[in-house]
Amino acid sequence: MPAKHPIAGPSRAIGGDERKRMTKLSQFRILALAAALAAAPVAAAQEPRRVTIAGEVSDSWCTVSGLMFARGTAHHQCAIWCALGGIPVAIRSADGALYILLKLGDDENSAANPRIARMATHEVVVEGELLERDGVNYLLVDRIADDKGVITMTHEEHGIQPFGN
Amino acid sequence: MRKLALAVVLALAAPSAHAAEPWGLKDEKLVSFKGKVVDVLCTLKGDCPADCGAGKRQLGLVSTEGKLFTASKSNTLFAGAARDLLPWCGKTIEIDGLLIENPAMPILMVQGIRETPDKEFAPTDQFEKDWTAANGKADEWWRADPTVKATLAPNGILGRKDLKWPK
Repeated sequence: MPAKHPIAGPSRAIGGDERKRMTKLSQFRILALAAALAAAPVAAAQEPRRVTIAGEVSDSWCTVSGLMFARGTAHHQCAIWCALGGIPVAIRSADGALYILLKLGDDENSAANPRIARMATHEVVVEGELLERDGVNYLLVDRIADDKGVITMTHEEHGIQPFGN
Repeated sequence: MRKLALAVVLALAAPSAHAAEPWGLKDEKLVSFKGKVVDVLCTLKGDCPADCGAGKRQLGLVSTEGKLFTASKSNTLFAGAARDLLPWCGKTIEIDGLLIENPAMPILMVQGIRETPDKEFAPTDQFEKDWTAANGKADEWWRADPTVKATLAPNGILGRKDLKWPK
């Protein structure tokens, strides 16, 4: 007894021409399914994961672009400019991973939010949901467990980034 | 003579050709692709205000291959691209710009936007336009901005009351 094809449906007695037609139809269905899978989003929305993240709050552009020294006191002012200019703000953990802030408590304003800007270059510990998509970590913060303020002293060595004043 | 003057005026007023410009950054790539403009939080969590957040949320593009790119930077210094993408919320557009493929995360600078291939790329400068309309003209919006000043005022440019700059 021939095995049932998972797409062609239950087997039944069929003639030669119909069998050929069904085989073609099955092949077409397989190709259509493969095409549909190929066209589907690479990564659909994922289930969030509960996390606790510790690190420095900074803008993602300066951190990733490498245009300047983007840490601590040297970069405090610039991080505020970027945050209020609407550049995504991230938390950089000690291992160099970046987490883009999309939500802070009930506040869903993640572009040019003064509340987020006031945390620029602060060392924080936050709790929330982590969503990963296409190589980017997105963080939905429920609670700021700790905010140590600006504790990384970098201005003596690096001056004020990027213009010196 | 009047025809010549008119031609000059029209030429100056016409949109200039725009192509992504390199910045010479490590891991940067010049890119141009089509994508649907999306509210990033909506795409990830299904939390979707009708207007993509009215410019207060981070916006991005979902490419035709289904890849999500957060639009992190515009042509305006120290400014993101959410305001540039907002008019196209839910629509498919073409952008050009820089994609920095840093191991920590990829980041997209959108330099130009166009709706259809027959149009020129329009530069991403909406933040500057909106800022100037609200605050007046300034050489450096980032120093003139009242919210920046208010945010820096309590602790200074180093972020700490106990530190002074210049010393």
